[in-house]
Amino acid sequence: MENFIVLIPLFPLLAAICIGSLQLFSVIEGEGSERFTARVANYAVGLSCLIALLLLCQDFWFGNNAVLTLGSWLSVDDLVIKLSFFTHGFSLKLAVIFALLLCVVTRFSVNYLHREAGFHRFFFVLSLFAFAMFMLVLSANALGTFMGWEIAGLCSYLLIGYLYNSQNATHNAMRVFITNRIGDAGFIAGLVLCYLWLGNINWLDIPVFIHQLSAQKLNLIALCFVIAAMVKSAQFPFTPWLARAMEGPTPSSAIFYGAIMIHSGVYLLFLIRPLLELTPLIAGFVAVIGLLTAFYAYFVGLAQTDIKTSLIFATSGQLGLLFLECGLGFWELATWHLCAHIIVRAYQLLTAPSLLHNIQSTSIQNAPALFATNRRFYTYATQRFWLEPITDWLIVKPVMNLASDLNYVDKQIMDPLMGSPAPTIHAISSLAQAQERNIGAHLDSTEDTFAQGSGLAGKLTQWTASILHWFEYHFILHGASDNVFHYGRRLGHIANQTELTLLKPRYLVTFIFITLLVAM
Amino acid sequence: MTMTFLPMLSMLIGVPVVGALIIAFVPNIHWAKKIALMTAFFELLIAIMLVFSFDRSNASFQFIEQYAWIPSLNAEFFLGVDGISILFFPMTALLMFVTIIASWSNIQHLTRLHFALLLLLESATMGVFSALDMLLFFLFWEATLPPIFFLIGLWGIGAKRSQAALKYTLFMLCGGVPLLFAIILLAVNHANQFGESMTAGLSFSFPVLLNTPMTDHLQIVILLLFVLGFAVKTPLVPFHTWLPTIAMESPTQLSALLMGLKLGAFGLLRFAFPLAPSAAGHYAWLLALFGAITLIYGALIALKQTNLRQLLAYLSISHVGFVTMGIASLTLQSIQGALFQLLNFTAIASSLMLIAGFLQQRIGSTEWVHLGGLAKVVPRLCVFFYLFSFASIGIPLTSGFPAEILLIIGVFKHQFGLGIVGLLGAIFGAAALFMLIQKTFLGEVRHSSNLQLVDLRAHELWVLCIPFIFVLFFGLWPQFLLDISQGSLTLWLNRLVDLPLTLSFTS
Repeated sequence: MENFIVLIPLFPLLAAICIGSLQLFSVIEGEGSERFTARVANYAVGLSCLIALLLLCQDFWFGNNAVLTLGSWLSVDDLVIKLSFFTHGFSLKLAVIFALLLCVVTRFSVNYLHREAGFHRFFFVLSLFAFAMFMLVLSANALGTFMGWEIAGLCSYLLIGYLYNSQNATHNAMRVFITNRIGDAGFIAGLVLCYLWLGNINWLDIPVFIHQLSAQKLNLIALCFVIAAMVKSAQFPFTPWLARAMEGPTPSSAIFYGAIMIHSGVYLLFLIRPLLELTPLIAGFVAVIGLLTAFYAYFVGLAQTDIKTSLIFATSGQLGLLFLECGLGFWELATWHLCAHIIVRAYQLLTAPSLLHNIQSTSIQNAPALFATNRRFYTYATQRFWLEPITDWLIVKPVMNLASDLNYVDKQIMDPLMGSPAPTIHAISSLAQAQERNIGAHLDSTEDTFAQGSGLAGKLTQWTASILHWFEYHFILHGASDNVFHYGRRLGHIANQTELTLLKPRYLVTFIFITLLVAM
Repeated sequence: MTMTFLPMLSMLIGVPVVGALIIAFVPNIHWAKKIALMTAFFELLIAIMLVFSFDRSNASFQFIEQYAWIPSLNAEFFLGVDGISILFFPMTALLMFVTIIASWSNIQHLTRLHFALLLLLESATMGVFSALDMLLFFLFWEATLPPIFFLIGLWGIGAKRSQAALKYTLFMLCGGVPLLFAIILLAVNHANQFGESMTAGLSFSFPVLLNTPMTDHLQIVILLLFVLGFAVKTPLVPFHTWLPTIAMESPTQLSALLMGLKLGAFGLLRFAFPLAPSAAGHYAWLLALFGAITLIYGALIALKQTNLRQLLAYLSISHVGFVTMGIASLTLQSIQGALFQLLNFTAIASSLMLIAGFLQQRIGSTEWVHLGGLAKVVPRLCVFFYLFSFASIGIPLTSGFPAEILLIIGVFKHQFGLGIVGLLGAIFGAAALFMLIQKTFLGEVRHSSNLQLVDLRAHELWVLCIPFIFVLFFGLWPQFLLDISQGSLTLWLNRLVDLPLTLSFTS
């Protein structure tokens, strides 16, 4: 019976592959096959849900083993990664809640997206997402969780950019994806450090080994995972991506950012709970970040006039509270809070459009009293505390500037330095030219030709000669008059510029970064 | 070392040459094309047969063929494969098969010569992968140049194609010089070590040279020469400038081929490290550093490109930097990952470039200002571009994922800082690729002339489906590939690590 747990992620994956490949080869197209697609997606998620419920019942009455381990997926040297799933405890319960919600949302989307252009595409992504979430929640080793983690991020990218004709939606999708990529990097770093220092990446084995590690190493592992959780759950410096994610169709917003995916960060905190309990520093960090997010989301949420964004800032606030609870060690409370929040928020977001439809005529509420009296505060809130421009200015802009500097170096300096072949440029086009060259008259050359060298030594001599010539021409022949000052000033200016460029933050930070890397 | 009855490796080298000769004498042009395709297909079959008759439990060389070639120099016609090189054969054959289909209808003049040159290139490449005699290897290595020179020069799509062809050839010839020096030094050292006279004691056989004792100073020189030679082909910064030029000027199916064939990295793995083991153990960090620089440099420059093909070229440079880092990290995970990633990019990088080529063929440009919003017009092409992009940034379920995970784990194991660089590179690379997708495929259709574009034709669909099946299959079942190379790579690593001088490489 426990072996059936494999089927929970497998069914949605098969559904996704089926819908995706059939649509790619135009077997299903347009309104006629909507019924087929909807059925495949519904049945797949439905079956997964059924199996999850059965397993839960079995666990409740008879008690399952904690983990089901199947064959190995990857083994190199002492790194052995097995397919393993939780069949017991919180993960299974969460999987059941997710499965139920996925069922509901899939059914809801059948009507909601009827006659939309991307009907099949939507259900493809939804099924893939269901696979990813089951993988994330059920996998008993960090790599399986990460697989779900990254595919879920990808699905969110695909659904935010659902209206691929809209510049705005797709740009937001890209921003969200790249932000999520930072979290993924944190997850991978945590995973790799676990393997290197603990020799193991099974979630249940981690508590067994962590007592051997120094506090510093523990802190580092915990920090990596916490960064991943922060990005996924849109905690403080990363909050803005959540508002950008509202471009997708309503069911996808509900399921990704209201109910399911956004909570995977908190779920990750649950998974690394033994680690957090040993690292008070990081736990405190989690609590502070949670508190900050809660306040931030509360104030920004007050100023929102759109139903979806205000709901999403409410979600963000609640997630902040969840982080706070986890950071302070109230795990039991966090568990209930998490489950309750998932259900309520999914309901709210799913009904948002019809709510909007019903209250179309009524005017929006007045601004809260806090804003009425303090106008500056209102500006802060509507501008969302300039969080996104600040991160842009701190990270994106320097990186792009560095990129364009490097691009310049590559095109203007590196390429000529490595030598693009001169022969074709200076090819001899006529016999007369060849004869000119033979007698040494370089009439077509722009260089000063009284010293023409060949070979390395020859070229060096030639260059030295021409530099001396330039010097002589500009400084000595023109007399020590204005020109000296003029050129002197220009040289000084260039030197100043060089120094200023080197002192720009992006270079300073790069140098510091390189130094640190070398030191490590 | 076992002898087999059927000379499979000679067949792999010989069949394309025969095919090319037949093409030269077939009067009908359509028949010539079909023969080229059939030759490539036959070659693919042999290569697949080779993989399945390969004995995985045997870590040393198999399918040995050894005949005298130049007796006065002791050079032999000596072929053989092990777990490191075996998988390159089917991938190269597959790539060539795909390339021939892709250039089926867009080569209009000198068609016969074009296909014959492609087949000759295939033959030389197979030779590079199978040669175990250093002189023979060098011969095949240089024999790849003339076909490429003519392919770029005659059928290039850029205005400066002849200049690009010359640039490529000159770069590669410069890279060849240190290789030749290294090979001669190795042979002479063999003669000196065994105290024999100069001509009688020379040896170019790779397995013999592996066991020839060598002083540390000489090892350093050999390693330096090899790395210099292979770095040009790989390419590592600062020797990379030929690749963007090639991507812009040469016919797209050929740039797909050149991006797919990672001969330089193969050379590093096969010859440079094992032949100078103690020097490699000591100075691998230097190569890792160059790999790291290449990784970040390529990814950052890719962020600023405005042309799809050029961007793909820089991304490919960046990826190869990561692979180099993996090889130089000297852990089993990282070299397994590096080898896996090399095979991956034979499928992924070349497919991305082929798609860019399809766009070039339809629109006449791959500059961003001429594209935009293409997902609406050519949905299938866009889907495939997406799929291969996912594979290239290592999304799970594609073969890029296990390869990248192995690489990152191995690099972290070697040195913490390098691992961080790898993760940073992964973020920048993804950013560049997705900005590219955003500007090319998403948003409004910017030019009304693009509204009439034709989506993927049947043969183009096949060209992309075949590599994609590979990507998906090995994404789900990576162990199949890893098992093949496990034995040989363990042996490879033990040669380097077991030396008493190389204790300092673990952190």
